[in-house]
This record gives sequence, structure tokens and C-alpha cells, in this order.
Amino acid sequence: MSGKVCSNNSVMQARRTVEQLRVEASMERIKISTAAAQLVQYCQEHSRSDPLLTGISASSNPFKDKKTCVLL
Amino acid sequence: MGEMDTLKKEADGLKTQIETARKAVNDTTMAAVASGVAAAPRIQLKNRKTLKGHLAKIYGLHWSADNRHMVSASQDGKLLIWDTYTGNKVYAVPLKSSWVMSCSMAPSGNLVASGGLDNMCTIVNIKAASPKTIRELDAHEGYLSHSRFLNDSEILTASGDTTCCLWDLETGKQKVVYKSHVGDCMCLAMSPDQNTFISGACDSSAKLWDIRDGGCKQTFIGHTSDINAIAFFPSGTAIITGSDDCTLKMYDLRADQEVNGYQDAALNAGVTSVSLSSSGRLVFAGYDNFNCNIWDSLKAEKVGVLSGHDNRVSCIGVPDDGLGICTGSWDSFLKIWN
Repeated sequence: MSGKVCSNNSVMQARRTVEQLRVEASMERIKISTAAAQLVQYCQEHSRSDPLLTGISASSNPFKDKKTCVLL
Repeated sequence: MGEMDTLKKEADGLKTQIETARKAVNDTTMAAVASGVAAAPRIQLKNRKTLKGHLAKIYGLHWSADNRHMVSASQDGKLLIWDTYTGNKVYAVPLKSSWVMSCSMAPSGNLVASGGLDNMCTIVNIKAASPKTIRELDAHEGYLSHSRFLNDSEILTASGDTTCCLWDLETGKQKVVYKSHVGDCMCLAMSPDQNTFISGACDSSAKLWDIRDGGCKQTFIGHTSDINAIAFFPSGTAIITGSDDCTLKMYDLRADQEVNGYQDAALNAGVTSVSLSSSGRLVFAGYDNFNCNIWDSLKAEKVGVLSGHDNRVSCIGVPDDGLGICTGSWDSFLKIWN
């Protein structure tokens, strides 16, 4: 009896695998040339507003320890 | 056994079909497309703050959506919530189980989640008079490796039981279970539009899921060991994975395949964590060898290193405003760099 249950589980698993592969196989893919060009474009459009790329001035850096000023 | 043979033949046929379809759109390389782009500058970030307070290995960190607070988890049995601008600890949440593997904060800043070898995801309200556990999400059959809140009433979890799950925090019950991985799920990341999420697992694959209907839409292969870390490229059209095979890979979602790889023959340490700068140009990767390497996502060149930890970098994160990067380590410290 248990042998039959085991093989039923394997069959169920195999059916799920095939169903999943069918879903993945049906996808429409775009060319890497198009996809990569869009990733490059995204980086370039956003590079000027990327603080880790452009650097952050001391006055606008929230993590930099500020030295206190004393007015004499 | 006839049906098994038929199913195996059909599965093999579909795998071949997928490979053929991927090859058909593989008309160039990212290296070629990015060849005209100026090289990224050498990135030299300074350690601006070291957050001291944990007494044991740090396993997770997550920035608040306010870009200022952060939650960290350590196997000293505590979650600490920090004000990173001052370096002060704002809340300490004692954990029932010290075997914590991950933590996260809700976008509202009201709730934090943690979990690990207790197989549970514990939700705590940190804005109550004193931090109060409001839910213990208890249905995974394996360790909790990762979690991310969608909002104050829904959270996604990844587990060593090979599934991911969407929970309803009002009822404490599972809403959707995501089943397809055949190895422990180690990490997850939500898409910018919150309609999909990606998971990485010990079966060396990453999967893209529809959050609402639970269906696995795509599977990305190529890594040769556990995927420990995963992140979306900010456009939402590509993902980056980090693995025990010592490499990171970029997969484009619409071309459905790997488009870039980040590796170095001299590197023989597994990748533990990954986070991107706000434009997506810089990939920060934490490694077992105590360093964090900075990669140019387009040209796949190493453009910097963050060194300063005395043990494995286990977690890493860039806040939404992109103003810095935090690394968390087994040396019990968190460091903020920019």
C-alpha cells in the first residue's frame, strides 16, 4: 500500500513540475539587446541623483558627525 | 510507471524549449551594450558611524522607510532599533528565541518582524507603550530565513521548508503559499510595484512570483550553489542574486536569462548579502571573507571595497533615499558608509 502512495506522490510532483514548466515555456521574451539597453538607460538617467555614485557634500550628509561651532 | 516516463519526457522537452527560446533572444551581451558607457568612478566610501550595542553575531538589518531608523537582529537575542543619524538605540526588543536569522521593519515604522530557527515570524509593535508582540506566525515547517512587510497587515516570509508565504496579520493566518523551490528558501525581495516578488534558494535557482495568485512566473538558473541574497534592480526589470558559489548574477526579467556575472578568480568566499545604490549602477555585496565589494552593475568591474569588519559581513542595506549603505557583521557591529 505504502509503495503505491509513494509512487502517487512522485506522479503528483512530476505533474506539478510539468505544469510549472508549461507556464514558464509560454512566456514572451524580449531580445537582450533591447533589455540591456534599457538597463543602461535607467542607470544613466538616474546617475546624477545617486548619492553613492556622485558623492555627498559634508553639509548634506546626515551620517557625518558635525563639529559644533562656537560663536565667540 | 508509464505515466512517470511520459511526464519526464514532457518535462525534458519543455526545458529544451525554454533553453531554445532563451538562446533565440540572446543576440548580444551586456558587456557589448555597456561598452560605450563611461566607466564608473573608483568608489571610496568612509565609515561614518559604527553602531555598537549587540553582544553577538548580527544576522539581519533593515532600513526604515524614513531613511533614518533601522532594525538589526543578533543572536544575542535582541532586535535593536537605531536612530542612525545620532547612533543612538531607540528601542530594544528582547526575543523569545535567540536563534534569529532575519528582521524587517514595516513601511509605517510601527511594526518589526523577526524569526529564525524557531520556525516562526514574530511581529512586534514598537510604537506601543513598551514593545509588544502582536502576532506569532506559526505555520512554516522550517526555519524563517527572511521576511518583508507589504504594509501593517501583510508580510511575506521565506523558509527553510522550501516555501514562501504571504500572511494576514489581522488573523495570523497564511493567505498564499508559494511552492515550487526544491531547496531551502534563503532570501526574498519585493518588486518596486509590489505586484511580484523574487526568492532565492538552496536549489541554486531564483524564482519570480505573482504575490496575489501565488503562481511562479519564471525560474532563473545558472548558479551552482545556494543563493543567499537577492535584490531588484530599481527599474524592476532585472534582479541581482548572490551565492555561495562566490558570484553574483544579474538576470533580466523580460529576456528571462542571465545578462551579467560578477566574479573574480581571486575571490573564493561566498556572497552573503546584496544591495544596490539608488540608480542601480553600484552593487554592494557582502562576503564571507569579512569584506564588502562594490561592483559596477553594467561593466561587471570591481570599483571599490568596504573593509573594516573583523568577521563575515552577514547583511547589508541601502536606505530608499540612497544616502548611505549599512553593513552588519558577525563581529557584532553595524557600520554606515558614504
